[in-house]
Amino acid sequence: MRRVILVLSIIFIVSLAFCAPVKLTMSGWPGNPDEEAAITAGVEAFNAKHSEIQLVWEPIPGDYFSTLKTRLSGGTGPDIFYVDVFVFEELATNNSMLALDTYIKKDGFKLSDYYTSLVEAFQYRNRTYGIAKDFSTLALYFNKSIFDKCGVAYPTNDETWDSLLVKLQELKKKGVEYPIIVNPELTRMIPFINSFGGSVVDSNMKVSLSQPNSKKGFQFYIDLVTKYKVGYESSAAGAGWEGEAFGKENAAVIMSGPWCLGFLKGSYPNVYNKMGIVEMPKNVKKSTMVYTVCWAINRQSSNKDAAWEAMKFLVTEGQQIFVEKAGVLGSNKNIAAKDTDPVKQVFYKGADYATPWKIATPTGLFSKANDQINSRIKDLFYNKITLDEALKQINENYDSWIK
Amino acid sequence: MKKRVVQEAMVGYLFAAPIIISICIFTLYPILSAFIYSFTDFNPLEIKKFDIKFNPQEALEINTGFLPSELTEKESSIDFDLMNFIELDVGLKLDEEKSVLVQKYFDSVRLLKDFSDGKLDKEIAIKDFMGTYMTKYGDQFRKYKPKFLWFDNFVELLKDQYFWISLGNAFFFSLIVVPIQTLLAVILAVAANSKIKGVKFYKAVFFIPSITSSAAISMIFWMIYSKPGVINRLFGTSIDWLNEPNTALPAIMLMNIWTTAGYFMVTFLAGLQDIPDSIYEAAEIDGASGLTTFWKITMPLLRPQILFVAITGTIGCMQVFDQIYFLIKNIRNITISFFIYKNAFEYGKMGYASAVALVLFLIILAITAVQRKYIKDEY
Repeated sequence: MRRVILVLSIIFIVSLAFCAPVKLTMSGWPGNPDEEAAITAGVEAFNAKHSEIQLVWEPIPGDYFSTLKTRLSGGTGPDIFYVDVFVFEELATNNSMLALDTYIKKDGFKLSDYYTSLVEAFQYRNRTYGIAKDFSTLALYFNKSIFDKCGVAYPTNDETWDSLLVKLQELKKKGVEYPIIVNPELTRMIPFINSFGGSVVDSNMKVSLSQPNSKKGFQFYIDLVTKYKVGYESSAAGAGWEGEAFGKENAAVIMSGPWCLGFLKGSYPNVYNKMGIVEMPKNVKKSTMVYTVCWAINRQSSNKDAAWEAMKFLVTEGQQIFVEKAGVLGSNKNIAAKDTDPVKQVFYKGADYATPWKIATPTGLFSKANDQINSRIKDLFYNKITLDEALKQINENYDSWIK
Repeated sequence: MKKRVVQEAMVGYLFAAPIIISICIFTLYPILSAFIYSFTDFNPLEIKKFDIKFNPQEALEINTGFLPSELTEKESSIDFDLMNFIELDVGLKLDEEKSVLVQKYFDSVRLLKDFSDGKLDKEIAIKDFMGTYMTKYGDQFRKYKPKFLWFDNFVELLKDQYFWISLGNAFFFSLIVVPIQTLLAVILAVAANSKIKGVKFYKAVFFIPSITSSAAISMIFWMIYSKPGVINRLFGTSIDWLNEPNTALPAIMLMNIWTTAGYFMVTFLAGLQDIPDSIYEAAEIDGASGLTTFWKITMPLLRPQILFVAITGTIGCMQVFDQIYFLIKNIRNITISFFIYKNAFEYGKMGYASAVALVLFLIILAITAVQRKYIKDEY
């Protein structure tokens, strides 16, 4: 009798192993509760449709990119994972992601449904390695009641940096301690540089921050803090980031993305109800940043076909769920067109003239240069060096930073 | 007789085997690897690059834009870029040396023939694929070997401005923190050793910071040091302590002293128990004041503990990481171990990071040797 049970249980286990669906792991950084709920809903919807594949969401908390790289090195990486556009080239040069061109061709998948800038953001040497999950652009948030109290006109969609500065100075005069929050980060300064007609690197991937136009934008950004004294870091306003400073009503104006909407709605509903959002101001042209993340497939994955199947879902029906539930902006134009949420329109508008947060370098590496430039911006905020000194240091050392 | 000794030793080693093996695997092997990597351009993302499986037929289809059936007719017009194929579609990152080998010895004709015969439609590991189609040197494509750079990493770090800044910060940190935390720990220990009421409560209070998670402590201090925080309110200042480049590091030092002093207090408490009461009694009879007793009796008799605390304290300070990781945003204020972390895990330069780690190891070794020499350990 005992032997019969043993044989039966062995047969049961073996058959279970054969019939078990393909298990796919999917990783990214954990989002806020809304985003987590949206992802879980997406995964459940996929699993309900595909009995042969079981998709599992395994977020990596903490330092996502370092952890991901370590896991990829050890051969234990997830099958599908987020890749931020900022680190995309580093993973592409190391061949960590699967090129999707074959699948796209075979399935007749329409890349043209996606915003061109977002498709190009995830291409490397004419191969597509990822499809944008969603995107965010920067816009100008302002607190209407602070402007009303000081009798200053609201910013508009046609604001220029100079006219905004006048308004900020008026606020300051009327006793607003922190008129606008600025971050000592290159990524937040790029809209200034670009709107003044400059760029971070030129078409030959050489650093061009000291070109006259780039320098003007750079100077303006620093002057907000040091000369006009209207710009402050969020920590100065007693907050961890700009959204918190805005929510606590310490700051009158911030430049932030749609990620702020859910946060304000949840934590500071009264501020959410009296805020206005307009496009980023311009100088000679409009400019904003677009931050985007793609889904990519692990080249080492043993279930590539299943992973592609899951990915196709994630960027179409899955994206629909994320847009509805997590309030992100759809990278798929069909989904974006259906998204009529009025507060999000200003962010969609930015997509037309936005620059992706990705600096082209010959080696694909930019993290070190980014840290170095950010450190210079910080020094400039504290008047430790002059802009000319900073630019000189950047020009002299840039090549060694991207090695 | 000798046989018994050997047997006994064998049994002894057998019992110790678990710990010996785990030390070898988890301590000695990583140390040795880091030492070797410090002379190379080791990139962890490439370790598995020859083990990845791919489908050669799909790779060729995408590279040439032809299906195998179409190829026989159009063979003459095929546009096949070998290097492009290997680097992008096979997905193998090549250094210069290997590019030359591939260009010289890769059998494209055979590959294309197999392609048109439809023989390639199955997954194959890159190393087997290269082994098959390289007419020579196929063994070069079996296992990832980082390039040996000799002392290039060390030359580079000598020229790296932020290596010097972060090293300087670590020295500055140790120089201030170690003496203060040692002295403070002695004072706390003497206080905790006295026979006042509720001394157990004080001991617990002094010791709690050192067993609290440093992430939690960092969060608390982040609030204390913030612009609207307690410190600024107390002193009527308005300094953004952790963001201002000049105050960031001293702020962390203060916090570090606060957390570690209690831990070292325990060491000194143990030392104080060893000092016989009779010496204090003799001093009292001779009319020594409390302060004189402290400097002339307590401190000299605590010398072995002071040596121990100074050494472990210096090592700890030179390697301070967690609090910097949590609280410092500006790379001007980072210390050397965070610099290592950044290079290894953020900039993808594992070889360079290993070289810096080796230098840090040598520096700590030297400091410890000097400390041992000048504070003689007579016990």
